[in-house]
Amino acid sequence: MKAHFLKENDFPSFLQNLIGGMKVIGPSAKKQKFVFRELQSPDELRLDYDVTILPPKKAMFPTKQELVNFKENRIESSIKPVPQVLLGVHFYDVKAIDMLDNLFKAGHEDRNYLANREATTIVASNIRKVSPRAFFASVGKDVSPKGHDAFLTKVTGGYVYESLTPKGDALLAHGTFAPATDGQVSEAKKVNEKPLSECPEKIKAGSAEVAKKVREAFGKTKMWEDLSRKCFSCGTCNIVCPTCYCFDVQDIWNLDQTSGARCRSWDGCLLEDFSKVSLGAGATENFREHRNERFRHRVMRKTTYLNEKLGGPACVGCGRCSIGCVPDIADPTKIIDRIMEA
Amino acid sequence: MTHHTAQDNVFLPREAEVLKAEQVTATEKHFTLKMKDGVPMTYGPGQILEVSMHGFGEIPIGFASSPTRKDTFDIVIRTVGRVSTAVNKVEKGGSIFLRGPLGNGFDLDKLRGHPILIVAGGIGLCPTRSLIQYILDRRSEFGTFTLFFGVKSPKEQLFHADLKTWRASKDVSFHETVDKGDESWKGNVGVITTLFPKVKITPDTRVVICGPPIMYKFVIRELEKIGIPQTNIYVDLERRMKCGIGKCGHCQINDKYVCMDGPVFAYDQIKNLEEAFR
Repeated sequence: MKAHFLKENDFPSFLQNLIGGMKVIGPSAKKQKFVFRELQSPDELRLDYDVTILPPKKAMFPTKQELVNFKENRIESSIKPVPQVLLGVHFYDVKAIDMLDNLFKAGHEDRNYLANREATTIVASNIRKVSPRAFFASVGKDVSPKGHDAFLTKVTGGYVYESLTPKGDALLAHGTFAPATDGQVSEAKKVNEKPLSECPEKIKAGSAEVAKKVREAFGKTKMWEDLSRKCFSCGTCNIVCPTCYCFDVQDIWNLDQTSGARCRSWDGCLLEDFSKVSLGAGATENFREHRNERFRHRVMRKTTYLNEKLGGPACVGCGRCSIGCVPDIADPTKIIDRIMEA
Repeated sequence: MTHHTAQDNVFLPREAEVLKAEQVTATEKHFTLKMKDGVPMTYGPGQILEVSMHGFGEIPIGFASSPTRKDTFDIVIRTVGRVSTAVNKVEKGGSIFLRGPLGNGFDLDKLRGHPILIVAGGIGLCPTRSLIQYILDRRSEFGTFTLFFGVKSPKEQLFHADLKTWRASKDVSFHETVDKGDESWKGNVGVITTLFPKVKITPDTRVVICGPPIMYKFVIRELEKIGIPQTNIYVDLERRMKCGIGKCGHCQINDKYVCMDGPVFAYDQIKNLEEAFR
């Protein structure tokens, strides 16, 4: 790791150079909230954001992605990665991206995701404002953020840029960086510890203990019914989650009616049709027919099912599901606490 | 960094030529296929394919023939939705697109040397035909072989040539039933479990079940009466496998992906998974 320093006044020109040279995606204001979007000018970047509506996974795993394309009887791969910089990613989202990397790599490698991922340079940044629903300090504590190329931290008079990979080094040419002093590096460390102390400890138990207890609660149908009574099955908790990666696959024709593409789009296990199978003659079978079953499935996936593959829970404590859920029943901390108390 | 090519796209299907296409019931069509690129399909009984038509989509379908029948392979498709309707319009000489083989099929090592019972309901006969043919082609590797086949009505029977062969064969004790007969039907009438009293099934039998979701629990109840341990019962499950590669989440039963961990499971592995059967 090499630490560099960029003066506050030099930051806009660094950004301008990046934007002029390639696609740069970063947090930006959208009315009262924040979103990751392609930046057109340096002043659009808002590193003081608390949390974005959608997680940055969309930069590699777009809401709708062409997998293969066809024309008459010919079919071709649609993998065409575009080099891009994903700037201003909080550490909890870095952890989530690392999980997606592992899940898309496992078994059959999904190059449609991985090619985009490899073409992306991720610059993480310190959390300046903690979202009121966040609980990143008390979930998956033993899972460290990794997979990012650099870490940008706001310190007195400028930014410490810690480069972790050759892709991180490559961005240095776009700005007037100087070596960071020991003082600046230790200030950056302190700055990054601050949000952890500001984020309330919402889950008391450790991940392994939670995983065990949640799995044991599988058969407590009455409890799952209670927890999910107000669920609309809208799937918002899935859509805003940085570790959700389920998708639907549909073919789409172009207007010429001879060519088109097979596309995937984000899907959610809370949606009623998600596990439905056609039996023919209009008959169907739905293997998670009731909302308490779908609600439980999400909680199981986040806390236990994927733990072996990921080395920890598939939740990073961003709190997006808690914010997005209209009846406010999706908050993992409340669900876990209820299970742990039982 | 590893060099990747377009062929590494796991969603890119291969083209298969339709050598034979036969409408076998009002809704089922039986295809015999051969890969156009000359690379043969290498698979095991019970494995699946994602079958597609450009512009319509993909559906998971089991192999309906055994790898012991070389060069070509069979699939049977029921006209149900958009994709199956489009595939079933393809005739001899046309093309169908495929990804696979995918998933885990029958563990032949666990079946070899033992008495076998296959219980197939309706189009559950299609994926199990891959195993039936395998056993018949390598008959000496297996013990006594019993096959139960049940359908709702006689007109839903398929693989008529096979049925004729099996009825006459000494290599398989074949028993068939229909839920409801018609004037032409002379055989057994009743659900598939009514076949159990007709044959001696021993407790050391290895059993394979494939059929509509409702069938499993009733068949398993009969097997428990005989004293067949759950470790020796295999079920071939159907789900809405959209990707077939353990990513999209649609086929997940608790923490198992049917497309990767299955579609064939030992019953004791999944019996406690509430979402496995309904």
